Amino acid sequence: MKFINFISNLDKRWIYLILALCIIIPFLFPVGFPMKTTPPVKSIYDFIEDSIPEGGVVLIGADYDPSTMAELHPMAKVIAAHALSNNLRVLFVTLYPQGAGMAQDAIDNVLKEWNKSNPENQKQLGKDITLLAYVPGVSAVVLKMGEDITQTFNEDGYGNKLSELEVMKGIKNYNDINLMVELAGSSVVLTWLIYANGRYGLKMGIGTTAVSAAEYYSYLQSKQAIGMLGGLKGAAEYEHLLDKKNVYGGRKDASIGMDAQSSAHIFFIILIILGNIAYFVKKRKEGK
Amino acid sequence: MLKRTLLLIVFLILSISLFSENDSLIFLENQTPFEGFAITGKDIPNDGGGGIEIEWSFPDSLDNFFLTVLRKDEAGNNSIVATDLLVSSKQVRDVSSEEDPSRVKDGTKYYYTGILSKKMVDEDFLNMLISKENGYSKNGIYIFNNDTFYVTAETDAIISKASWFNLSRIPVVISLILISFVFLYYLNLAKSGKELYIRKINGLDAVEEAVGRSTEMGKPIMYILGIGYVTDIPTIAGLTILSRVSKKVAEYETKILVPSYDPVVMTTAQEVVKEAFTEAGRPDLYNKNDIMYITQDQFGYAAGVDGMMMREKPGAVFLQGLFFAESLILAETGHSIGAIQISGTTETAQLPFFVAACDYTLIGEEMMAASVYLQKEPMMLGSIAAEDLLKVFIMVLIIVGFVLSIFAYGFNIGIFKNLFDLLARALQV
Amino acid sequence: MAIATNFWIWIAALLTLAIYSFLYKDNPFYKFAEYLLVGISIGYGISVYWHNTIITKVYNPLVYDKNFLVLIPLLLGLLMFSRFFKNVSYLSRIPIAFVVGAGTGLSVPSSFEFLFKQVYATMPLKLDFGSLIIVVGVISTLVYFFFSLEHKGFVGRVSRVGITFIMVAFGAAFGYTIMARVSLFIGRIQFLLSDWLGIIK
Repeated sequence: MKFINFISNLDKRWIYLILALCIIIPFLFPVGFPMKTTPPVKSIYDFIEDSIPEGGVVLIGADYDPSTMAELHPMAKVIAAHALSNNLRVLFVTLYPQGAGMAQDAIDNVLKEWNKSNPENQKQLGKDITLLAYVPGVSAVVLKMGEDITQTFNEDGYGNKLSELEVMKGIKNYNDINLMVELAGSSVVLTWLIYANGRYGLKMGIGTTAVSAAEYYSYLQSKQAIGMLGGLKGAAEYEHLLDKKNVYGGRKDASIGMDAQSSAHIFFIILIILGNIAYFVKKRKEGK
Repeated sequence: MLKRTLLLIVFLILSISLFSENDSLIFLENQTPFEGFAITGKDIPNDGGGGIEIEWSFPDSLDNFFLTVLRKDEAGNNSIVATDLLVSSKQVRDVSSEEDPSRVKDGTKYYYTGILSKKMVDEDFLNMLISKENGYSKNGIYIFNNDTFYVTAETDAIISKASWFNLSRIPVVISLILISFVFLYYLNLAKSGKELYIRKINGLDAVEEAVGRSTEMGKPIMYILGIGYVTDIPTIAGLTILSRVSKKVAEYETKILVPSYDPVVMTTAQEVVKEAFTEAGRPDLYNKNDIMYITQDQFGYAAGVDGMMMREKPGAVFLQGLFFAESLILAETGHSIGAIQISGTTETAQLPFFVAACDYTLIGEEMMAASVYLQKEPMMLGSIAAEDLLKVFIMVLIIVGFVLSIFAYGFNIGIFKNLFDLLARALQV
Repeated sequence: MAIATNFWIWIAALLTLAIYSFLYKDNPFYKFAEYLLVGISIGYGISVYWHNTIITKVYNPLVYDKNFLVLIPLLLGLLMFSRFFKNVSYLSRIPIAFVVGAGTGLSVPSSFEFLFKQVYATMPLKLDFGSLIIVVGVISTLVYFFFSLEHKGFVGRVSRVGITFIMVAFGAAFGYTIMARVSLFIGRIQFLLSDWLGIIK
């Protein structure tokens, strides 16, 4: 009973401290829990790997900000790197002002890492990859892109005229985009699914935070999206797949966090079990 | 074999004499790489015009070959539609562009030709083909600088046009009309004075219990509207429920605290509470300062409300409105002070937290229904009834689809397969 | 790797620690970091809006392209400001009516198509246990959200099945949420240990 009371009255700060340790220790002493790839992740990977001809276009929607960066930023980097490795063109697009900074960081990082590990196949900003300028309007932007992408944005995120960029050659609207992967933790995913996929038939994949992953599963089942990366785990699986190809030397942000994720989960499971035991024991005591 | 070689030599001489400046070009007229070597084109259906779709279907062995598509207009001007498409891509769309006036225009006749090649198409060769003098009127095999290019015959004239209606969306129009009709019908029914039934919402019964118990303990009641604005539907529903709660509060002569996130919501909440107190016959108990503004910063608001909860120790906490990441912070604090908690929101990601930390939770649409249940306004009652009918419609649709697929795929009966396909086509607009 | 020498990484690291200090208890460092975040995000937003809306969508087309059609949406947009003046505030309804009308027109057909696709996806293309669960789950959940009928008898039993499905879904969502929150924390710890302190790669 003493233990039960201890559990129910435990100061939250002890839990925070143990959780912090659960996360820091695996970083210092990695265990290497095994990794299994799930079908929703594999199908996006396979699509980029096999179904897009050289010179094809992958559009990546960076609709997140620093608050969900930990989960979604690794996805942006790894998908862009994968597309570059197949000599595809990559366009980033964002419907929120903060997303522009995220996308630019991802582009800088991927280009730097790619060119470092592939000196014979250098990639260039504006030729192989770029960011479309932020334009307000959310659903209006998504709809207008279905008619004319260049006219929607006029410029790229670096102030260059889109009509003069090599990366935009032959791209008019969604018909010229082979795959769009929307990275967001908010309902903006639905905006893309409703308007770009529903109206213009744009092929879509979803990369989302774990919070929203359960919600978006139904769009996989209905085939509105071809696949999904859910949370850090999804990003880690993708990194794992790309790693097997051995073409990109960038840091695997998601994979190195997986041990920490697992150990935190174990800690939570223990907490949930203890909490429930305490709850039921107390309830029985009070009932008597 | 001999005949072929002879033919080749004849054409070699012929072509040298024809294109003397391009001494490396050989042309073999009417030769094709395989039977039925051709491309087809058609106006893109159900579009706004200015688009032609060119399709081809070549043997699989040619999947890694390239296809270049050229276009000729009525005046005989040639232009390039797309170069070096992978044959496996099967189609390309030639669409208009406002920047490039040379592209497809509605109402003009266009003729398309395809060039199949193993290597990427040679630019000089392409320029020669589209130059107006030479043209590419002849189909056959061209050997240019030792590379072979197979040129298809021209397609028939294709004209792009805009469609007035997107016929693939007919099911949408039909459902839209049906649904509007259902809504109007129920609206009329409700307006004409017919009682429309709406079931009791479980969480609402607990309102009285919560307010009563709080009064017994001599504690105030706290009503949190979340971080929505007056334009958000959950916030509006939350305000309606607030009216009911404050009426009970006035009857029990206790105190209600409404910390607000948005100034407009705060003003509205003040009006709502004042009106409810007046209705209950106790306008004297109403204190404007109990409905106060906290801050418009998400976590600042959460921290402010948390602090207030710890100080005032309300006996009942209502969380009704739009909540995001602060939901658990609020609900957990309420739980820790031992208050009865009744929550409600439409945010699916936040509902699990409410269910875990509160005594009663109004889930999603229940919240809207609860506000209708309290107000009993004909317009809203009508729409609830209409929505229910539509839910029945969707259920029937799903069940029909399910039964059809059992017969179609479980028992492999042809007619059910056709019926299922028909249904699928109607739904896949 | 060694401890960071980049000034901005130090700023980011110290701000991260300032925010986390709230877990111990509320303090001035936390408040400072929080206010800084609110201020910066508003400032950043305004500068982006200025460049990408006012400059690229209004100024450039008017001044360089002489495209005077831009004046129409500009005027509509400016009418929104009439809300600040009581006697002409009704004018702001014009742009709102425009946005609401166009928005509804665009979203209604698309929402229908979306619903259709979801309904279609519920119908099984092959018969297995999973498809049966989906059909039963969807229908019983819909019955739970049925307000015109009392939940008793058969309807009551079906709606109980429905609420069970809803709770299972909540459980899954809850688990995912914990995972997400942990991931966010991992992202920060990774930043602190690697980019800032250089302890790990």
